[in-house]
Amino acid sequence: MTETKLTIALAGNANVGKSVIFNQLTGLHQHIGNWPGKTVEKAEGTLHFKGYTIDIIDLPGIYSLSTFSIEELVSREYIAVERPDLVINIVDASILERNLFFTLQLMELGTPMVMALNQIDMAEKKGIRMDHEKLEKILGIPVVPTVAIKGRGVYELLERSVEIIEKGGINPPIIKYGEEVEERIREITKLIEKIPFRYPARWAAIKILEGDEQVEKEIREISPEILSTAGKLAKEIERIHGHSCSTVITSERYEAAGKIAREVQQIVPRIRPPMSETLHTITTHKILGYPIMVLVVLSIFQSIFIFGNYTSEFLSNLLYGWEPLFEGLLGTGIVKDLVWGGIAEGVIAGVTIALPYIAPFYLILYILEDSGYLSRTAFLMDTLMHKIGLHGKAFIPLMLGYGCNVPACLGCRIMETERERLLAAFVTTLIPCAARTVIILGLVGTFVGVQWALALYIIDLLIIFLLGRLAFKALPGEPTALIMEMHDYRIPHLRTVGKQAWFRLEEFIKISFPLIIVGSLLIKLIEILNLLGPIADILSPVTVSWLGLPPITGITLIFGILRKELTLIMLSVLLNKPLPILDQAMEPVPQMVVFTLVTMLYIPCVATIAALVKEFGWKKALFITIFEVVFAILIGGIALRILSFIKIP
Amino acid sequence: MELPLTALKDGESGIVTSVKANSGHGRGGGWGFQKRLMDMGLTPGTKLTVIKSAPFRGPVEVHVRGSRLALGRGMAERIFVEITK
Repeated sequence: MTETKLTIALAGNANVGKSVIFNQLTGLHQHIGNWPGKTVEKAEGTLHFKGYTIDIIDLPGIYSLSTFSIEELVSREYIAVERPDLVINIVDASILERNLFFTLQLMELGTPMVMALNQIDMAEKKGIRMDHEKLEKILGIPVVPTVAIKGRGVYELLERSVEIIEKGGINPPIIKYGEEVEERIREITKLIEKIPFRYPARWAAIKILEGDEQVEKEIREISPEILSTAGKLAKEIERIHGHSCSTVITSERYEAAGKIAREVQQIVPRIRPPMSETLHTITTHKILGYPIMVLVVLSIFQSIFIFGNYTSEFLSNLLYGWEPLFEGLLGTGIVKDLVWGGIAEGVIAGVTIALPYIAPFYLILYILEDSGYLSRTAFLMDTLMHKIGLHGKAFIPLMLGYGCNVPACLGCRIMETERERLLAAFVTTLIPCAARTVIILGLVGTFVGVQWALALYIIDLLIIFLLGRLAFKALPGEPTALIMEMHDYRIPHLRTVGKQAWFRLEEFIKISFPLIIVGSLLIKLIEILNLLGPIADILSPVTVSWLGLPPITGITLIFGILRKELTLIMLSVLLNKPLPILDQAMEPVPQMVVFTLVTMLYIPCVATIAALVKEFGWKKALFITIFEVVFAILIGGIALRILSFIKIP
Repeated sequence: MELPLTALKDGESGIVTSVKANSGHGRGGGWGFQKRLMDMGLTPGTKLTVIKSAPFRGPVEVHVRGSRLALGRGMAERIFVEITK
């Protein structure tokens, strides 16, 4: 028995509950990957319904179908060129006007559509009543009211979608612009209809009038005459309206959206502002906002550290308990050394980081994002981020970096342009992650003093700031400013949030585990082949002469590439001194300070390098890595000379 | 009278008259930003209300078309409005 295959795409603004609907529809049958050749996420899922196998594609949340971001390009190309059987447009009922602006653009693409009028409960709380039947009549496409987080309306949504597809797909009606614009759209449409073009003709005609660079480029290759005619017509529109043609079309589209919104909604003023509004006012307050943010961030880190330390210890005790088992199976020879010391210990290293620290970190992060708090921190931190050429949203990956640099690098995708993604990722790799914090506290904090550890953090922040600023000046291009919607606070949908965190964790495992395992295998080999001494000797001009450290630290710095906190453990093993009396083999000042400083800065760990490669390619990843190694060694040597000069006891 | 959005006090409303490219400070400009503002609903003739600004010349929070937007300072300086009251 073969089932008929259907494809349905979900499209809508950001934060309208799209991923919740995606989850409700597809349940466990999901796959998250990337769009081919793009760093844009592609979520796919399947479901079976009334004898059909339906592929659901969750398109990125966007506000328009221009060329502003890669997400917009990916979405429109998918809808216009790949042609799914149907597009479900998910709309936030409480911000109908802005959402309809996007709906009208989808309709111009001419694919069969159904609308999910989502979060009608939230709209009602804000005093907005919706006449969805009237909306359906005006738009000419089915409109299904939904409350996705409660699963309300989702079945009906699917039912009506399939119904539309079975009818052969009703094409949405055309929304007309003002006559002087419409006349010119028709003229260009006729010209485009005569050439082979992958986008719908009317849509392409509108896009040319809007000055869309990508469509213009593609048309130019086929027929440059169309462009010159269109240019002339656009000038005419500009003369009539006194604004640029793109402005005129966007205005008219918004005008139409506004008119429809006013016709179908009734606003009942509320006497008391809803809770979410009060919460917004407090958390973005000029003065109160900052201490609240610091408190939120600190309590997150505190609780993750407590949870992480406890679970990590528990897990490593449990997993290391299996060593006798391996010994029993493989004996005590070289094979066991490689399998246990290389592979198994690599896996343990990964597991004791991923589960205890990264998993809760992701979970909390997604709860914060979904609730709306992260966009408030971006609002508060915008000015500071501008100093390093980024805008407020970059604060989010930066904060992530304190937990682990890998998710932070991947998190830089929220920035709009490639340049900003790279800049943010570079800065992020310098943030002391949880592993580096372990070294700072374990070495400098314990043997030199907490105020010294704190000083290192401050020095690191200064370095980040300076390097960020330098990179900002060095990279070509102009910074983009913040334009961000701050949606109303809401209670996150736990299942969706949990799933997002899970997919991230999976991604982390896929990127980092292979490298951690290969790395630890390599190091085990070096150990077995007795190459530790020679390598330490080779590195001694740097470690001993320039940095003033014991020769064996060269080895620990190499181990640190795998996992930074390994440097601490290795230090105690190789110096043959248990951690609490490590100061007998190494002077707290300057040696420990210099060592910590170098470890803090010297290289993104192997997993972070992998994340950089995935996002930006080998060349840029290598460049960042080499730069940071050289830079760390340079700073370490300078620090040694300053510390010896001032001779602090 | 035409004023930049940043001249509005908290709680004041205005109608967008124009968005100027390359005026104000260097930051906040960039590619396609005018189109972006239009797409987010700040077309000429749109009514907006300034709610507040973040401190240290931070972004401006505005209410426009039923939603709440944060606009970077450099960008807000290029949006010109006529105060309604």
